[in-house]
Amino acid sequence: MRISEKIPSKLEIVPEFVSALIGKIKTLSIGEDEVFDIKLSLEEALINAIKHGNKMNPSFYVEVYLEIKDHRLTIKVKDQGEGFDFKNLPDPTTDENLEKPSGRGIFLIKSLMDEFEFFDCGRGIKMVKFVKKGGALR
Amino acid sequence: MNIKEERSNDVVICVLEGEVNINTSPELRKTFDGIIKANAKKVLVDFSGVSYIDSSGLATLIEMFQRLKKTGGMLRFSNMSEKIRNVFEITKLHKLFEIFDTRQEALKGF
Repeated sequence: MRISEKIPSKLEIVPEFVSALIGKIKTLSIGEDEVFDIKLSLEEALINAIKHGNKMNPSFYVEVYLEIKDHRLTIKVKDQGEGFDFKNLPDPTTDENLEKPSGRGIFLIKSLMDEFEFFDCGRGIKMVKFVKKGGALR
Repeated sequence: MNIKEERSNDVVICVLEGEVNINTSPELRKTFDGIIKANAKKVLVDFSGVSYIDSSGLATLIEMFQRLKKTGGMLRFSNMSEKIRNVFEITKLHKLFEIFDTRQEALKGF
């Protein structure tokens, strides 16, 4: 399965877009726990791309690429922003940051996915989940 | 998301159902605004019907925690599914919030 989409920089469309994409993944009998992790990671990546990457610019869009091959689900999310210094992201779990309302998106993705990396100076995120179930994944 | 407000003595219980995400968090914030305005000090959020929560949902809960703390109030959570609880544990927010398995346990000594 391979899906490639572009969405406009509108936060309100993210949950519906993610649900539609997740609906397609569910047809492959992937476990519910994994689906939850993938859904949350994808949504966080899209929100970051729209909010912090594209800075809500309505003329910018976000590219989403999803591929499932050999029990390996890969998602790439790329914005049209300026990129950012992803090497110095604060840890939201430290005592001084725990009560801060924001700053958990990337941390959640890192925790829930099996592989994670930024590319193109932080404009893009690539994440991988190893999916256990589903004989029809190839 | 559905939000139902119940009462048990002086505790306001918010029973949530559905997804707490970027689109539904403002509605939850609005409910919390009403609770703060009504000067409630003890708030319990029942997660038994919650199937999903994202970072905007977590942010809304943190804001409510801070608002209640300022007024000498308390916020407790109950009835989380394993997956929802896992989100709180990953983010270490289980150290910030009081999380109980059942509503009865949460109401005890509140």
